[in-house]
Amino acid sequence: MQLTETGESRVNGYLFVLERSLKTFLPSDVVRDAVREIESHLRERIAAAGGAPNEREVLERILAELGPPLRVAQAYSAERTIDEAVTTGRFVPMVRAVWHLAVSTLVGFFVALGLLIGYLLGIGSAGVAVIKVFFPENAGIQFVHGVPVGFAAQFPVSPGTDLRGGYWVIPLALAFGLAVLVVTQRCARKYLAWWRGRRVS
Amino acid sequence: MSHETWQEQLRRGSLDLAILLTVSSGPRYGLAIIQHLEAFTDLVVAEGTIYPILGRLTREGLLDAQWVEGEAPHARKYYRLTKLGAKRLDHMTREWRAFAEKITRLIDAAGGHDHAAH
Repeated sequence: MQLTETGESRVNGYLFVLERSLKTFLPSDVVRDAVREIESHLRERIAAAGGAPNEREVLERILAELGPPLRVAQAYSAERTIDEAVTTGRFVPMVRAVWHLAVSTLVGFFVALGLLIGYLLGIGSAGVAVIKVFFPENAGIQFVHGVPVGFAAQFPVSPGTDLRGGYWVIPLALAFGLAVLVVTQRCARKYLAWWRGRRVS
Repeated sequence: MSHETWQEQLRRGSLDLAILLTVSSGPRYGLAIIQHLEAFTDLVVAEGTIYPILGRLTREGLLDAQWVEGEAPHARKYYRLTKLGAKRLDHMTREWRAFAEKITRLIDAAGGHDHAAH
């Protein structure tokens, strides 16, 4: 079937949306290859439709069978981004995968929020250890009504703030921060592995 | 778990095996793989979602992909089973048969498929 200008524009529109969606999480060479393959699929299906009288109807059926471009992109995301994150365990692919799930699902959003808190707590605690080296009076363990609530640093220390601890806080805050980071990273990886198990297809 | 969820998980779990089986007889391009799957199964819900799976199987080294020009008015990407893929397929087929056999025995022991009717 030879497409009219309207038909061509519908196909190009589909491919445009797909390309835009894929570009948010895939390298450009992979996007090019994926879009080329989907276009090949479409052209093949259109050619096989022969001289069907109603171009619009045929084209819409072909596109519906292929699936909406966002769904196809989501399937790529599940297979590629999450796959790479789980397999390599590297920080950047993991952040990319968690971010993609956070903006596309409700569960992903809350999990990403939890992971963000974990990473910030870990980095913050390790940061207190570093600050303690240079500004020993401004960093330590914060007490509220005599109860320790966590590692903290303040510039300047506000009146009423109870910061305690000597240089021994440094290894403690560092160990705690690193432990939280390791646990958070493991949780992130487990979460992505679980998500990969529920692969979208 | 709802019946639909269970069916969906079953479908997802068997797609890799079905794709590897489809290309085991020789190289096929994406649409040919989909058409073969559609002819024998109802595993393909949205055609476009098969391509990311083909990409993953290629990255895992189970399939080898190559663009072929000139065969049709547009280029086609052919997939063929690698040695690693053939080995994996062999394992998966054996595991599938053993699994199906055990579940069938379980169904038979439970009195067959009309058990719920009693």
